[in-house]
Amino acid sequence: MFKWLLSHQWKEMTRSNFWQKSVAINLIIAFFIFIMFLYLILLGLFIDKILIEQYPDGDIFAIFNGIILYYLGIDLFVRFFLYNLPVINVESYLHLPVKKSKIVNFILLKSTLNIFNVLPLLVFIPFALKVILVNYGGLTSLSWLALILILILNNSFLLHYLKRRFIDKPAIIGIFALTLVVVAVLDKFDIFSLSDYSSSVFTYLSFNPVYILIPLLIMLAVYSLNFTYLSSRMTLEDVNVKKHKKIDSLSRVKYLENFGDLGEMILLELKLIWRNKRSKTVINMAPLFLFYGLLFYPQDVYMEGYGFLIFVGVFMTGGIMFNYGQYMLSYESNYFDGIIANNIDYTKHFRAKYFIIISTVILSYVLTIPYVYFGVKVLLINTATFLFNLGFLSMLLMYFSSNSRKRMDMSSGSAFNYQGLGATNWIMVLPFFLLPIFLWIPFNIFGVPDWGIITIGLIGILSLAFHKSLMKIVVKRFEARKHIIAEGFRE
Amino acid sequence: MIQVNNLVKAYNGTVVLNIPELKIEKGESFGLVGNNGAGKTTFFRLILDLIKANNGEVLSQGVDVKSTTVWKSYTGSYLDEGFLIDFLTPEEYFQFIASVNNLSKGDIKNFMEQFDEFFNGEIIGKNKYIRELSRGNKQKVGIAASLMSEPEILVLDEPFESLDPTTQIRLKKLLKQLKDEKNVTMLISSHDLNHVTEVCERIVVLDKGTIIHDIKTQQDTLKELEAYFAV
Repeated sequence: MFKWLLSHQWKEMTRSNFWQKSVAINLIIAFFIFIMFLYLILLGLFIDKILIEQYPDGDIFAIFNGIILYYLGIDLFVRFFLYNLPVINVESYLHLPVKKSKIVNFILLKSTLNIFNVLPLLVFIPFALKVILVNYGGLTSLSWLALILILILNNSFLLHYLKRRFIDKPAIIGIFALTLVVVAVLDKFDIFSLSDYSSSVFTYLSFNPVYILIPLLIMLAVYSLNFTYLSSRMTLEDVNVKKHKKIDSLSRVKYLENFGDLGEMILLELKLIWRNKRSKTVINMAPLFLFYGLLFYPQDVYMEGYGFLIFVGVFMTGGIMFNYGQYMLSYESNYFDGIIANNIDYTKHFRAKYFIIISTVILSYVLTIPYVYFGVKVLLINTATFLFNLGFLSMLLMYFSSNSRKRMDMSSGSAFNYQGLGATNWIMVLPFFLLPIFLWIPFNIFGVPDWGIITIGLIGILSLAFHKSLMKIVVKRFEARKHIIAEGFRE
Repeated sequence: MIQVNNLVKAYNGTVVLNIPELKIEKGESFGLVGNNGAGKTTFFRLILDLIKANNGEVLSQGVDVKSTTVWKSYTGSYLDEGFLIDFLTPEEYFQFIASVNNLSKGDIKNFMEQFDEFFNGEIIGKNKYIRELSRGNKQKVGIAASLMSEPEILVLDEPFESLDPTTQIRLKKLLKQLKDEKNVTMLISSHDLNHVTEVCERIVVLDKGTIIHDIKTQQDTLKELEAYFAV
């Protein structure tokens, strides 16, 4: 049976839409994954140097062990948001004479084959080889690695359980994160040291491998916790996540009705985003875009130039727009026939979408104004890129949205579910990000970079002034391509 | 009302529909029957400008459906679940359809009352999204929505499918009423020969994309059709 399950899973994966992209895009993704792997391995190889710089007179092994508990905590937090529960289409097996325990075991084992379990090993293995093996010998190195592997798997199973139980209550994970931050602060001021605790426990375990049995037993306990939980919920009612939820309060928004059918369409768009898992994930992740600036602004290297700051500006004020805009038609793939068969005015249809886009852009811009703390230059660049997003890129995005031809499954979807949210997502819109930078480059060559920024802003304002004509072009392209789009969505 | 000229649709070189000429008069109830893959849905999609024909045209009141969208204001249609906005409640969906057709709040209320019997208490006030409804109930929502704007032309693909017997009978009554009282032109496809012969006064049989029978419904039409399909 396991063999069958495995082969079905394999087929499901290899036949998924994810691979049916152009070779070029697959190559680019492969390249990015390769770079990521490389970075992690390099981090593993040189983490001892980094630690020595921070703590010149400490014992590297002990310091590293001190981080592990924090690592596990952060790992749990990140997984909660980014990790997809492994699902197999249980319905197709439940009516067959297959033991439930087999299916449950399969689901749990499948959950270990996960990028979050693999990536950390890229750091831990080089560290074990370079530092532990050389200084403490093979046995310690091996038992330390075994310990790490058990801890990672333990985290994996623990999260699997927590996520199933608390998927509707993200507040719990918020409290968890807060606790972690508080503990870290206490640690920093030497009031309570979790790192000392972590360090002594894991160092002790590495030198006394027999006691590794304890974490191993904990891991098995978590596994069986998962097992019992899943086994007791293996009926159709439970595996179908379509539990009846209350109708949300959007159904009672009467304000927009005052704007006639345009208001009605905007409301429809809001419901579309809010009530579908995939689009809602985008909204949930949206605040992350706003923190992007923190990666760049504190560093003088970026602050002296313009290029990166323009990029950051476009990204922060337009991040949500890009995510929504490039898929705004695919989001409708479920009922696209209804849209074109009904008596719907396409211009209004697009105006409703445009309304959503400019709302997110304006909101993002307002929220990034505090970055003026890092200098007026930041504010000026963000204002220019904001205008550019608002007037020009929004229209360009809507124009190209008529290229969509792939049906999108709106019900499944959270981060790292590639369709519409993954890496390709950003590769497709990369040219949009680069456009303002290309506009600015000639000005920089002639030594007037500020004029370049002003030009970016001016193009935005001009496009805004002519938005009606631009909208006509957008709608015209849509009308010309609607049959092609509809045909793609029906597949 | 509807005039089809030299209509050809092909996928990858295979012709799936070829109708040299067909005329549907105002107030006619037109039944389309045929096996799977005969081209029924393709034909309806062409009438609604959901797909592009390789050749020929569909005229609605003398105007090519490709060239304008005027026909949409007097045409109601429901082909499949792809017409339903699944994350809305039925009430929200009706309101949306009413809004794009410029109907008033009073119209919606009238409409709901009118369809009360048809819905059989399973659609309105249930606090469910359309995606949570059963297939039959989705079908009811779609059919009802197609009738909201009081269309002059009604296009329904397999309307009886997945409806319960009571609703099937009610739908037949409703369609007959529309024909008799409002003189609505109806295009209805079905696998089920019983239903379609009961509702439609003209039956067209499609086979592999071509019209092979075009008959006025009479006493023995059902037998005639059954004989044809019993191969």
